[in-house]
Amino acid sequence: MKSILKQILQFWAVYYLILLGAVPYFFPADSRLEIATKFNSLMIYSLLALALHVIVGYTGILHLGIAGYFGIGAYMTGILCTPIFPFEFCFLYLIVIAIVTAAIAAVVFTAPMLRLRGDYLALVTLGFGQIIIFVIQNMESITAGTQSLSPVDPALVPKWSYPLFKSLGFSETWLNYDWKIFPNFYLLTLLMLMLVYWLLHNLEQSALGRALVALREDELAASCMGLSPVKLKLIALALAGAISGLAGCLYVTSISSTAGPKDYGFNRSILMLCCLILGGLGNRRGLLVGAFILVGYDTILADILNTQIQQTTWSTKVKNLLQPSNWKFALFGGVLILIMRYRPEGLFPAQRKSRAVKTPLESASQSTVSPQGSVSIAPSNSPLDSNSAKQEN
Amino acid sequence: MNPAILQIKQLTMRFGGLVAVNDVSFQVAEGEIYAVIGPNGAGKTTIFNAISAVYQPSQGEILFQGKTQYSPFRFRQFLFWLLIGLFTGLFAMLIGVNVNQLWQKSIRDNNITDTFSYAAAWQSAKEYIEARLSTAQIALVSGFVIGVAASFSVWNRSRRTTDSIGRMGIARTFQNIRLFQNMTVLENILIGLNHECKCSFWSSIFRLPSSNRLEEEAHQRALKLLHYVGLADKENLLARNLPYGDQRRLEIARALACKPALLLLDEPAAGMNPTEKNELMRFIRQVRDELKITILLIEHDMKLVMGISDRIVVLDYGKKIAEGTPKEIRVHPEVIKAYLGE
Amino acid sequence: MPLLASAELDQLIQYIIIGLSNGSLYALIALGYTMVYGIIELINFAHGDLFMLGSFLALTMLSWFGLDKGGSSASTFYISFSIAILLLAVPIFCAFVNAGVDYLIYKPLRQAPKLAPLVSAIGVSFIFMNIGLFWYGPVDVAFPSLVTREKVFPSSSIQFSYQALMVIAVTVPIMIALTVFVKYTNIGKAMRATAQNPTAAALMGIDVNRVISITFLLGGALAGVASVIYGLFNNTVSYQMGFQNGLYAFTAAVVGGIGNIPGAVLGGLLIGLVRSLGSGYIDEKWTEAMIFLILILILIFRPTGLLGARVREKV
Repeated sequence: MKSILKQILQFWAVYYLILLGAVPYFFPADSRLEIATKFNSLMIYSLLALALHVIVGYTGILHLGIAGYFGIGAYMTGILCTPIFPFEFCFLYLIVIAIVTAAIAAVVFTAPMLRLRGDYLALVTLGFGQIIIFVIQNMESITAGTQSLSPVDPALVPKWSYPLFKSLGFSETWLNYDWKIFPNFYLLTLLMLMLVYWLLHNLEQSALGRALVALREDELAASCMGLSPVKLKLIALALAGAISGLAGCLYVTSISSTAGPKDYGFNRSILMLCCLILGGLGNRRGLLVGAFILVGYDTILADILNTQIQQTTWSTKVKNLLQPSNWKFALFGGVLILIMRYRPEGLFPAQRKSRAVKTPLESASQSTVSPQGSVSIAPSNSPLDSNSAKQEN
Repeated sequence: MNPAILQIKQLTMRFGGLVAVNDVSFQVAEGEIYAVIGPNGAGKTTIFNAISAVYQPSQGEILFQGKTQYSPFRFRQFLFWLLIGLFTGLFAMLIGVNVNQLWQKSIRDNNITDTFSYAAAWQSAKEYIEARLSTAQIALVSGFVIGVAASFSVWNRSRRTTDSIGRMGIARTFQNIRLFQNMTVLENILIGLNHECKCSFWSSIFRLPSSNRLEEEAHQRALKLLHYVGLADKENLLARNLPYGDQRRLEIARALACKPALLLLDEPAAGMNPTEKNELMRFIRQVRDELKITILLIEHDMKLVMGISDRIVVLDYGKKIAEGTPKEIRVHPEVIKAYLGE
Repeated sequence: MPLLASAELDQLIQYIIIGLSNGSLYALIALGYTMVYGIIELINFAHGDLFMLGSFLALTMLSWFGLDKGGSSASTFYISFSIAILLLAVPIFCAFVNAGVDYLIYKPLRQAPKLAPLVSAIGVSFIFMNIGLFWYGPVDVAFPSLVTREKVFPSSSIQFSYQALMVIAVTVPIMIALTVFVKYTNIGKAMRATAQNPTAAALMGIDVNRVISITFLLGGALAGVASVIYGLFNNTVSYQMGFQNGLYAFTAAVVGGIGNIPGAVLGGLLIGLVRSLGSGYIDEKWTEAMIFLILILILIFRPTGLLGARVREKV
């Protein structure tokens, strides 16, 4: 009985994702749209957290500039569809372009730095993220500087395919604008999140995923087995770039504006890192929870409480002190410190499953390799991080 | 004697002022069991690290199957550098002429009326760049040169890496066992098989039938290999939970999974009891005889070394002091001096 | 014939003076990064924000002295007296905060994987930033200009102000003192020994934990001095300046070779010069990006920095 329950609960991440789709319907119709917008951004940030998970969880690189790739995807989308410029591409193209550019950027800008030691690499990724912010800020003709490009309202499919879609019964206004209204875009985002989640699930169980785990466990031993660390890391980076590009594209389309460059800065990257660390590094399901808690606090709960507090008659000082959004830095910082200190494996320690072995030698139906403790941030036995690695001459 | 599979020619390894290996040469013939011995700190592991490209030789060269271990220059490589150069050149040019202004002139200023055409935008972009032709040219050329030089130097630095050596057919084990501790025994072997598993990225993330089939085949081969080394019923244990002797075995099995032509064993018998040592001796011979793999090993246990080696080289303070069959080594005055002192 | 027209030359010298003054402040902060990294290989991410807290404390103390609106009515003696108090109190505050953070947060993580303390340091940095946010709010705050901007040599055309003089008069002796301290005192020797090999140092009877605490104290004190002088020299502070200046200083430490004390000073001066010359001759808004670019290039081509020794990884 207990094991059945356990088996059912094993897929809680899937239930959670399905539940997310239904969340807006739990609320009365008049507030449904607002709730949907908030949960939409929760899903987009979950996507971004998945992207960071691909880098930090799979390769062990502490990346502090993931929001930069997010920004590239977002601005690529914004530039190519805002009416200020003549391009005005459709969503179908934009999503592909955003994914490809962000993936290329991730590879091109990080590839030369892969030889660096862990902590230096972290700082370089941070610097890279900052450079993207400055570029966005300073390229005023292209990105509108500190303002934002808006509106971002792409049509769903290219103009030339309209006759086809019309013959299938879609109206032109639907294809132009209405495809974005409430349940559609919300469900599209959810679909994308599920898709990425599923693809990563497959990846983790494939030979490639195994190679990445081996690389994180012991880079030298893995490379002596003929695995190319550079190639594997670049694959992970490209994948992470692609997912962040996708998230960026969905983000600007959902809020219909590119927001300002500050939205793609260090704070966002750290928020994503917090989600990962809270959920447990290297744990795909855990990060969904981490994102739910932290992004949920940041975009949903804090907003609601802020408005509540603003409506009170307390003095401004008290209001400022009580506003949860003013506490978010301390919250993120506190999460990082406490988790590192007391539960470095996160709320949900990683469980890695290996595929069942069906063998003629033994008919073992093999199962979870559980719980294998923490996937530490950096493999402590790797040549780059061992404490004995410090030998100067 | 068979042709040499590995030739070490006047290898010298320097670390700062320390000369760890000094002008050492020897040859390992195909099908041999060849041992490197010497007191602690004689430079044995350094030679292994040099062979498997963890370190680059300071002087001298290492030939594997008659060839250097450097990956050869290919024309495709050259085209790739040019491409990178072109990319950085264009990038530098855009920065040089101020891409912001360029965009303003070509896209924004042409988009005031409804009659935007890409031809007009291209025209104004060309005019804009022509007005700053010298800057653009300088930026383009210098960006090109930097891009080509950088990609060349990256390639040059990575011509001899541990992974390329591994793929070339040299596998190794480590003095302090370096298994993937948190993976199962089977997965450890699968990593060794990984580089010949031809499943593509796309087929594995979309879980196409082809990747499933390849994975199944790899599993079968891994199980066979485990059976061969005598770890048959332990495939689902975590590597770190294995007893010490089995960990050594697994490390060898993982190296064998790479299908090497030459296997480097770094102190395979360290920490084993006499029974295990005898078993290991038999096993190493079996690997050589049945799988036709040449074996180069470092070992401190004289009984084992003398028992299985065809030839032995002796190092002391980074210098080669003797080479020969076990019989010759046993009576070599220099060797006795190195081990027992004056 | 002169190489440059004299006005241009004056301009150049002006930029160099500003660059060197700011650069020596970066050098002071960079010293804190470099010493901590040298000893426990931790990039103390919170160091920049500690610097920010220091300047906030200085500002608050100035308001206690009644000087926060500027010192036009106060006597020179009163002003120099209060600056002297600031230069005493703020470094002590920063030193103890820094060492306290080490004791509470980094010390339990000494045996953890190396990135764990780095992540914690990022966390501390965020908490400091939040404290700063509550302290003076989200906007830039004016720091009173207590030292005059008048020229030291009124007859010369070069703008060598009393402010720049103050920066140099404070930072140069401190750097010299630090070098002497690390080189000749027992504690300094213990620090160098610990940096070389903590285990061996512990075996030789050095109390490694005490050495680490002293390092944090020293680094914090230097950041404290830098924060007071920075406020007096640049006259604006904000809760985000810690992140920015911290990154500049970290870049300086890396440029000079992290773990290397003269390297940090050299790196700091270089970064200061790049910043002032960059904003003078290229474009102000690109200087920050330029500094990050320098960080990235240095790390790619010479990860050990200009003066750093090569570190060999042991297999």
